[in-house]
Amino acid sequence: MAVEMTMPILVVDDYKTMIRIIRNLLKQIGFENVDDAADGQEAYEKMKENKFGLVISDWNMEPMTGYELLQKVRGDDDLKGTPFIMVTAESKTENVVAAKRAGVNNYIVKPFNAGTLKAKMSAVLGDF
Amino acid sequence: MPAANVASQVRASLANLKASDLEDAQIMEVLKLANQLTDTMKLFFSSLDQSICNEFNYIADYISRTRDEISALRPNDITAERIPSAGQELEAMIGDTERATEAIMTEAESLLCDDEQDFDKYRANVEARMMAIIEACSFQDLAGQRVSKVVTSLRHVESRVSRFAEVMGVHDTGNAQAETDEEKRAREQLLNGPAIGGPETSQDDIDAMFD
Repeated sequence: MAVEMTMPILVVDDYKTMIRIIRNLLKQIGFENVDDAADGQEAYEKMKENKFGLVISDWNMEPMTGYELLQKVRGDDDLKGTPFIMVTAESKTENVVAAKRAGVNNYIVKPFNAGTLKAKMSAVLGDF
Repeated sequence: MPAANVASQVRASLANLKASDLEDAQIMEVLKLANQLTDTMKLFFSSLDQSICNEFNYIADYISRTRDEISALRPNDITAERIPSAGQELEAMIGDTERATEAIMTEAESLLCDDEQDFDKYRANVEARMMAIIEACSFQDLAGQRVSKVVTSLRHVESRVSRFAEVMGVHDTGNAQAETDEEKRAREQLLNGPAIGGPETSQDDIDAMFD
């Protein structure tokens, strides 16, 4: 199934600059319908209000981390099918394993580039 | 009353008793034993007094030395000057990098939106924005200087604390401090932060875990 390029994407990061970078990268690869949240709690509230085709989330945020958001989303019947990519500086193997066990669809370690983001999005959503 | 004075008084009392021409053999025997006892007590108490005196002298020396070392540590300088100053430098550095990133991204985003139809105008715009980006990169010089100041302060504190621990013979105890709520959350949430020298697990290795 073809990827809908107008699908809404939620970017979750507590650094505005990183949100801006990811927004620009998404725009470069053709996705312009992007919303953002500053932590897991805000993201979860937005997800309860609107359906997103993809969540791209940082790990280390307060009050709710990206890891907690992932667990909460996967435990929510309405949201558990939402594709979820973790984009983080947490690069220990234990983090990747924990995220995978919690149901993350892919994992990008910072710093990254547009090519990596596009490749992981393709792996999760299909070619576009 | 000091032990030596007590012994002297007992000895004086015994001498008085002896001098009073007592002829009872049993009393004389008791007086003799009492005399021996006071001699022994005198020796015991004098040695005890001396050892306590030595102990107090040692403690007084130790307190004096500790006070001197704490003064040399200059704790007021560290808490009132060095640490706050290091914190201010780091906060200023965060501000510098944020402003620089903002400037660089604004210029870059403007370039992406520029109209390419008029080549001369587009070129002039590109050159102007590139110069602005180059100028914004000057934050790195400031950041480097600020980091150097922070590193100097940390080394200063480290050397003074190390010297204090060495002179005072302070050793770390085997008991680890109780975990704070913040540390507990970091452990449970696997908040390890960025690794020094690049990612601990490469993107290729991560990819292999998702294949």
